[in-house]
Amino acid sequence: MASTSRLDALPRVTCPNHPDAILVEDYRAGDMICPECGLVVGDRVIDVGSEWRTFSNDKATKDPSRVGDAQNPLLSDGDLSTMIGKGTGAASFDEFGNSKYQNRRTMSSSDRAMMNAFKEITTMADRINLPRNIVDRTNNLFKQVYEQKSLKGRANDAIASACLYIACRQEGVPRTFKEICAVSRISKKEIGRCFKLILKALETSVDLITTGDFMSRFCSNLCLPKQVQMAATHIARKAVELDLVPGRSPISVAAAAIYMASQASAEKRTQKEIGDIAGVADVTIRQSYRLIYPRAPDLFPTDFKFDTPVDKLPQL
Amino acid sequence: MDADSDVALDILITNVVCVFRTRCHLNLRKIALEGANVIYKRDVGKVLMKLRKPRITATIWSSGKIICTGATSEEEAKFGARRLARCLQKLGFQVIFTDYKVVNVLAVCNMPFEIRLPEFTKNNRPHASYEPELHPAVCYRIKSLRATLQIFSTGSITVTGPNVKAVATAVEQIYPFVFESRKEIL
Repeated sequence: MASTSRLDALPRVTCPNHPDAILVEDYRAGDMICPECGLVVGDRVIDVGSEWRTFSNDKATKDPSRVGDAQNPLLSDGDLSTMIGKGTGAASFDEFGNSKYQNRRTMSSSDRAMMNAFKEITTMADRINLPRNIVDRTNNLFKQVYEQKSLKGRANDAIASACLYIACRQEGVPRTFKEICAVSRISKKEIGRCFKLILKALETSVDLITTGDFMSRFCSNLCLPKQVQMAATHIARKAVELDLVPGRSPISVAAAAIYMASQASAEKRTQKEIGDIAGVADVTIRQSYRLIYPRAPDLFPTDFKFDTPVDKLPQL
Repeated sequence: MDADSDVALDILITNVVCVFRTRCHLNLRKIALEGANVIYKRDVGKVLMKLRKPRITATIWSSGKIICTGATSEEEAKFGARRLARCLQKLGFQVIFTDYKVVNVLAVCNMPFEIRLPEFTKNNRPHASYEPELHPAVCYRIKSLRATLQIFSTGSITVTGPNVKAVATAVEQIYPFVFESRKEIL
């Protein structure tokens, strides 16, 4: 504020030995260092330590050193924005009792749709208990697709569901389209369409689904013991190797294998129950079962304990 | 494994789609009332006219654009289109037959062997896409010919392309790949 002379171009502090040297600032500690002799001239001009001290035994509901939410720099454009909070005190209300500054102006309007989609993805993933790494992968895929804008006309929820499907596939734990449908409001047809479009847009491809990917999930949902699950996995794998079921979806083959294994063990399950869990119609299970039934003795693992012998397996 | 190149594969053309223009505005209502074998779809704004002789169905718009489907060969499509234009001429419109173009040809072909689809997809990664949950066939796209082939595990192949020649070339191109992943009859 004082009328200093304009010729104050040199920094206020100078190295005593080298008055002409321009001081270098060390950003970490806020020091001004002379480059010629290394003398620290200005110490802690800007202190980067925290303003408040926090102790571990404090209630720690509020950490005074932290301002704002955890940043999500990979995904949104950074959360650096300011919102006007709700007012406290009488002055923030106008005459009718409404609060002035009603609209807490929404931030980052360019990314609002994306953040909405992320919330939707987290909700969907939560419904089927997907781990965080799949959700992160889905978010990344969605961001890539969104930035490309090639699928701009499609519903964001559809793209999100398709990204979730692709992420599960890429992580090696595929979910069937019907499972994704169950947690999303989008139809299977639309998710399938978006899926193909996204693969084309991102120029990636995914591995083919195998019967083994779904065995553990379906069997646990049916409360089948480990032996039955292993037997079913073996049956399905053998059936595909011997190509007894050409043109059948791996899910249907898996369901038929589970049926066969469960019927041969003490824990029998009906076709309807299996169809419910797998999302397959029970006539489909019947069809696939008919295809694998003739070779049943070859398909079972050698160390399997039969509760119902192979020739007594139901024939549909 | 060399594919037997003089195996005679019957490529059956099931559908040829063509478009042409009459360079005049068409009164759909008049066609609907006076024409024979017509269905008027007022909500969409088009008239369907089905011809018996070359068995074709034509979609007629009021702008004068006509899409002709159902023909079984390129010549038949041309005859059908011309016959249709004559029909419209008889109804009193000043029809000029212009911009005739065959847009799509659908053909079916049967391989004498069955095909292992997962193996085929693995060998032809970028071009082939197989989603058993969505569709039981492998979708193979040939970009240079703008043709799409749907390959089923029974060995039958559906080809769609811009003209008959492209379809034939597509089948020739796909034969060696499909031959590799065939299922040997024991």
